[in-house]
Amino acid sequence: MNDRPAASAVSADVYGIVQRFVYREAALLDRRDYRAWLRLLTDDITYRVMAQTTRDAADAAREYAIIDEDAAGLRLRVEQIATPRLTHAENPPSLTRRFVSNLIVETAAGPDEFLIEANLLVYRSRVGVPEGGLYSGERRDVLRRVAGELRLAHRLVRLDQTVIYGGPVSILF
Amino acid sequence: MPDHAGAPAQQGWIDVKRGQVSREVFVSDQIYRLEVERIFDRTWVFLAHESEIPAAGDYVTRMLGSAPVIVTRDKDGVLHALLNSCRHRGTKLCRAESGNVRHFVCPYHGWSYERNGALITTAFDRHFPEGTDFTLLGLIRVPRVESYKGLIFGCWHPDIVALPDYIGDFRWYLDAFFARSPQGMEVLAPPHRMRAAANWKLGALNFIGDSQHVLTTHVGPTTLDPLRSAQAGLFTPGKDSVQLITDEGHGCTLTYFNEGLPETVTQSHPRDLELLFEQTLEPRQCALLRRLRVAVGNVFPNFSFIESLVGPAQRAIIIRLWQPVSGTEMEILSWILVEREADAAYKARALRIGARTFGIAGVFEQDDLTIWASATAASDNRIAQQHAYGFQTSLPYRDTPLTDYNGPGRAFRPVTTEVVQFEFMRHWDRVMKSNV
Repeated sequence: MNDRPAASAVSADVYGIVQRFVYREAALLDRRDYRAWLRLLTDDITYRVMAQTTRDAADAAREYAIIDEDAAGLRLRVEQIATPRLTHAENPPSLTRRFVSNLIVETAAGPDEFLIEANLLVYRSRVGVPEGGLYSGERRDVLRRVAGELRLAHRLVRLDQTVIYGGPVSILF
Repeated sequence: MPDHAGAPAQQGWIDVKRGQVSREVFVSDQIYRLEVERIFDRTWVFLAHESEIPAAGDYVTRMLGSAPVIVTRDKDGVLHALLNSCRHRGTKLCRAESGNVRHFVCPYHGWSYERNGALITTAFDRHFPEGTDFTLLGLIRVPRVESYKGLIFGCWHPDIVALPDYIGDFRWYLDAFFARSPQGMEVLAPPHRMRAAANWKLGALNFIGDSQHVLTTHVGPTTLDPLRSAQAGLFTPGKDSVQLITDEGHGCTLTYFNEGLPETVTQSHPRDLELLFEQTLEPRQCALLRRLRVAVGNVFPNFSFIESLVGPAQRAIIIRLWQPVSGTEMEILSWILVEREADAAYKARALRIGARTFGIAGVFEQDDLTIWASATAASDNRIAQQHAYGFQTSLPYRDTPLTDYNGPGRAFRPVTTEVVQFEFMRHWDRVMKSNV
């Protein structure tokens, strides 16, 4: 028997609370309020962004991590891109807009953890790429309630891209 | 002034006396097309690492010059590179980036080929004229495919020198990075792939030895470095640091820790791996790897590598292919390698730190790519092209290679000059003019 209870859907109230968290978190990244964003993370967060490789339909998918960080690594990334004199890639900063949709929320290991599946679309316009471009992907998050507040404990983003276009990736997803 | 309407001004690319290179060289699509003819279709170009295709039938698809190829291994372990285009009507045999096949079967009319490219059947052999020699209808083979210490190169020109001779004296350095333990290196994941709006030579120049850009381009990661390297003087190159280039146009820059730092900082590799190096390499090569802060290098034309400070006794080697797409665009492929003998935790850290530093979202890489694209964009116009790029800091140093350097190549100190970068451009110029 699986030692984790089967994931099950949450009440409309909980769904609403999780949805508010997701939208607020996206807004903080869109506004580049990275330091406030960091406060939404648990100390033991794992954060990964994967790109894909083109594979025969009969073969197993292969992906590779373009970002694979813990809390300390994320703080360093944020410090770099949020400090004007410490970044060229984000100075002038990218203009971004995140669209998070198709949100599924389920209970996880305990009453204080929630599994999230969502679709993610990020529009990004940056120096040298004024016409802008899109990143599309799926998000798999784990949110945890810590002292009554939701926190992001785990994020896995699978980008629907095999070759990254639109310049180097200096934003967060 | 370059003639923008006609052929590029072939004599004016490099001004040796002034230490300058025409900007046109870094943006022109005409020069890019000449590069394909005279360099990429004529010389050894990196294709893949052997560990990407360990088993019979494993394949990866890559570009060799301007042509798509399949790099594969047959049942006897022999490596092949084949034009990824059916001999009949041109369809790609493999449209995925990697996989495993028993045969290559064309999805259009069913022609099928062995893993070495030999035709098995056209599916309609009976309708061919009598006497057709089907052995002549195999896939177009890349005439030269060789592996040097796990690094697979291909060349469209049948008469090129053998790969070890092409790498020449630079083998001694490649061995120190890619063949330093009995089992050698392995690739840990598929390559990162990214399009960059920059000329491919900006990557090659950066990796052969641009020690002047480190603290300005990378002000972010060098300031924020958790090891506090800048504050601790770790980014001040030690006096034994050296840049060098061989007669074949391959070069590297080896930057050592400054004198007087504690061993806990300067221990580049874990001791158990160092013991393997000592079994495999000669003492001078082991010494080359000791107290190494960062090594960058380039095998002409577009294969680069970096082994960088990522933490005490923790390293990852990153290899790069700067695949040209046009005068102003390239595709970058970037692999992370580690010694096969390393333990799983070391490999996992190498993968994570490799992505963090020099992956396509790496904290170093993002600023390099931003700057190369801006240099390319600002140089792609008639006005800017009246003014050459400067390599003037090569001039006072280039005629005085070290006489006491204990390794192959012409070596120069200090590392903070542009000697090896300018010599790379001179080599490029010679190849462009000789392979006509």
